[in-house]
Amino acid sequence: MSMFGWKFRLNLTGWVLGTLTVVFLAYQWLPILTLGLLSFAGPTGGTTFPMNGTSFHWYEELWKASVMNDFKPPLVRSSLLALACSLTTIVLSVMAAQAMRGRFRGNSWFFYLMLLGIMAPGILVGFGFAIMMRLLGIELAWNTTTFLVQVSWTLPFGFLTMLAVFNRFDAKVEEAALTLGASRLTAFRRITLPLIMPGVIGAGLFGFSLSYDEYPRSMFTTGADATLPLAVMAQLDRQLTPEIYAIGTTTTVFSLVAVLLCTSALWAMRRSTSFRST
Amino acid sequence: MSTIRIRSAASYWLAAPAAAWMLGVVVVPIVLLAWVSLWGGRSFSPASPLTFDNYTRFFANKTYLQLALTTIGHTATLMAITGVLGYCIAYFLTMKVKSPAWRLILFLAFIVPFWTSTLIRGIAWVPFLGVNGVINQALLFTGATRSPIEAFLYSRTGITMAQVSLYTMLAAGPVIYMLNAVAPQLREAAMTLKAPPFTVFWRIVFPLTLPGVVIGQVLVFLNVMADFATVATVGGNKHAMLPNLVLLFYEGSQHRAASVVAVLLMLCMLIGVIAAMKVVDIRRLGADR
Repeated sequence: MSMFGWKFRLNLTGWVLGTLTVVFLAYQWLPILTLGLLSFAGPTGGTTFPMNGTSFHWYEELWKASVMNDFKPPLVRSSLLALACSLTTIVLSVMAAQAMRGRFRGNSWFFYLMLLGIMAPGILVGFGFAIMMRLLGIELAWNTTTFLVQVSWTLPFGFLTMLAVFNRFDAKVEEAALTLGASRLTAFRRITLPLIMPGVIGAGLFGFSLSYDEYPRSMFTTGADATLPLAVMAQLDRQLTPEIYAIGTTTTVFSLVAVLLCTSALWAMRRSTSFRST
Repeated sequence: MSTIRIRSAASYWLAAPAAAWMLGVVVVPIVLLAWVSLWGGRSFSPASPLTFDNYTRFFANKTYLQLALTTIGHTATLMAITGVLGYCIAYFLTMKVKSPAWRLILFLAFIVPFWTSTLIRGIAWVPFLGVNGVINQALLFTGATRSPIEAFLYSRTGITMAQVSLYTMLAAGPVIYMLNAVAPQLREAAMTLKAPPFTVFWRIVFPLTLPGVVIGQVLVFLNVMADFATVATVGGNKHAMLPNLVLLFYEGSQHRAASVVAVLLMLCMLIGVIAAMKVVDIRRLGADR
């Protein structure tokens, strides 16, 4: 076999894999884009094509909805819950990752315990927790029980993020501060924290978006006042209308903007830190 | 010297809140489920006598057993599809795309949907799959079929199609990570020694990325086994997998039956993860780099 034959076949592989990738990307994006397009259907538009004109009708419906399918309170609840989960994740995961640096006895057990939070399926954690609350006689509510359960989901992701950050962290800068007489707490606050800030933002982003979109854990542990994913599912059970597409599009845009903001924040910070080091 | 002393009391105190949270919210409830699944008698209380009756009742029902087998078969199908597809995409993105800008754009196009709601992405498949859905409209328009195909919505085909779009990223992500770590010198050395491209891939690249493949498969396995939401939205009420059964029993206030299914589901997953750990040691990942 000549070199020419190899080159040709390598190119061919590239084309085949490239086509596959592009087809998959289309496959992955088309439903999302269609959802967005159909949310602008005319007032008589159904849940699929034809759209019967274009309008903001379904967004208006969303805005002036009745008590039954009013998405505004769930949206507020989900946002507040996501914010709380995000902040809790940041604090606890920085603490936990800092603890791992201390290589305390049983740290590998601790690592597996955190990993279990990712591995254990949400439906089982939610169900088990709901049974536990029932036996303890504790009332379920979105801002108590749902919060507790959701943090057990967001925290491990923040923890892994912070572990990765500390793996690349150069402890010599801390050493310098300590040698110069700073206390451990001051050195952490003034030296370590600013350096790990991009990771902290990443952990916070994980916390926010995982909590905001969480369904299985919330399903069993939220009381009468639903979070957004629960409200969407309840509406889907009642009737599928372009209104669901409108709320879906709204939250998807919301998630994308959040990701975009955080990515650019990370990018800006990395640029400024790399500037300083040169 | 660092801001934390090795084996200091402070490191325990820093780890304690997270550990307590995970124990109280994840470990205790799961142990509780195992306990509840053994409760006999009529009242739902910790005083119930322990028995295996709930399990006997589950295994005596052919429908439930069939459902368990369907779930495992369905999960295996998805692992195979996302595994092959994910590896191809990962290989293309890391090895074949030469321009860094294009690589970034394609990479972002691949992972960004992952940051949006899985639930909404599942719902987004509904207008695609129906009898009047986008796919059927396209097929009719191009003349590929004369009458609409009913097999998409409320079917396993539809569920599979939606889940492939949701979970391929999970299979590909770890592979992308491992492929990026393969030293180009290794491939060059093999090429210099006149190994054909396929041999280079099969004997050098693939074994080095195997841990990524296994972790990706574990992620897909865990997610598909537990995904009742996509099954419910795309499959309608006609189709159920094991986790849907948990929900069904729960809604019918049959907490003990729901616990039995939950425990069985947990066991399946545990076996899967342990089997994967036999192939790959997670703790050693990244250690030799």
